[in-house]
Amino acid sequence: MIKAGQIDKGTALLIKGQPFICVEREFVNPGKGSAFVRLKLKSPSTGQVLRETMKTQDNAEDITVEDRDCQYLYNDGEQFHFMMTETYEQIEVPMGSFPDYQFIMKEGETYRVTFWEHQPLDIQVPTKVVYEVAEAEEAVKGDTVTGATKNVTTETGLVVRVPIFIKQGEKILVNTETKEYLERVNK
Amino acid sequence: MRLMRSWFDRKGYLEVDTPILSTHLIPEPTIAHFATRFIGEFRPSRELYLVPSPEVFMKQIIADTHRSIYQFSHCFRNSEQIGNHHNPEFTMLEYYTVGADEEDSIAITEELLSKTALPGSPEHVLPPFAKMSVAEACMRYAKFDLEKNQAPADLRRIAQSLGLTLPHHPESWETTFNRIFLNFVEPNLPQEKPLVLYDYPKQIDCLARETSGRPYRRRWELYAGGVELANCYDEERDVQKVTEYYRREYAALVSSRAASDEVIPDVNYDFPKIFTDFPQCSGVALGFDRLLMLQGRHKTIGDLILFNVSAMMADGD
Repeated sequence: MIKAGQIDKGTALLIKGQPFICVEREFVNPGKGSAFVRLKLKSPSTGQVLRETMKTQDNAEDITVEDRDCQYLYNDGEQFHFMMTETYEQIEVPMGSFPDYQFIMKEGETYRVTFWEHQPLDIQVPTKVVYEVAEAEEAVKGDTVTGATKNVTTETGLVVRVPIFIKQGEKILVNTETKEYLERVNK
Repeated sequence: MRLMRSWFDRKGYLEVDTPILSTHLIPEPTIAHFATRFIGEFRPSRELYLVPSPEVFMKQIIADTHRSIYQFSHCFRNSEQIGNHHNPEFTMLEYYTVGADEEDSIAITEELLSKTALPGSPEHVLPPFAKMSVAEACMRYAKFDLEKNQAPADLRRIAQSLGLTLPHHPESWETTFNRIFLNFVEPNLPQEKPLVLYDYPKQIDCLARETSGRPYRRRWELYAGGVELANCYDEERDVQKVTEYYRREYAALVSSRAASDEVIPDVNYDFPKIFTDFPQCSGVALGFDRLLMLQGRHKTIGDLILFNVSAMMADGD
């Protein structure tokens, strides 16, 4: 048990038997009231978002989680398949809990996966990742109406809006949270 | 700040500058305090406190002068109040208008904020203010009748029917009210214009006068952009009532902090005597950093406060 006031971003909690991870936290003091904490919690297994405001002195059930390195193998349309690099044990993570992750994770790459007991709770993908441009539209000369950008598709299938000078086969740095192009990467 | 000063000066308010260190404070169990130590070389050392608000001194000046006064003051609130809208040290604008009540203070605050707004301030921090009573907000956003649920057990049932998880032990009406308010009411308050939320339940103990015949106190809170920006009282000036408040709240403060290492400030039981000759007046306390944050379209007060202590602590200084 911990006090609600101790909960921080990333703290894993058990709420009504279900694991949740805190993604946002803000302290509030209502006019002349005691201290409360406003939490935004996410269930990794269902993607459900819970907003809860608790007294900082309320008890909350925290759970101990563990991060392990896992190699992403492939997805079958419903599950992501990983292999734990230490034990070679294979695990599955429902794709629905991590929308868009099939477009930002690279097959063969190793990611930190957060586990609670044997249940994977979270996959940690770096915020900035370099991708290779697999397909690029030809830029139409003189086309400035669209603000001189075009769509490209990365090797993972992610569609990113980029400046028109980006060509197929080039490498680009992308923000994986916003899916926005950051810069061209020169080797 | 300069614009505000000249506005107050034109309106006949006296600017005051009261100490940040005090030997005693007003007992407020919901505010965590900072204490420091006076070291006496030849006499006993003692604890001194950083003021969480200049109220304790400003009210003494009003009692002495019967004048309207204002002050920009550095204030200190301890404990976990660090976040996008909190810094342990902040600037408070406090103004007391003699002869006014809390309704007059709405018009005064509207004029102040419209005459002194930074250019480019967004609509949600510009007057005129929208107004809503707490009871109306409860009915609208949590679907319950505030006046019909004055017993702790009744309000507890409402909280449970709304799906809130409550501790097993019974808790005060006020705590349950705040749970409902923060989970269902406050996040849904309209944000297009600043909102004056008025008629607070009398169970929330403070030095605002009670509304006669109804279970409220004469106070309001001003919300802007979802942030609590100011609060206002029709100031209690009955010596007996202030003395009772002191006894009640100091007892609550001591009992809630006895087991922890939180600061228990001294209080001065002679303080309520100043109300023997005290004019009708209404005081407003406005978070000046928050106002600038909202007017300048910043997301956090950390964007405004130079050397803010939250950032310094995060850097490990």
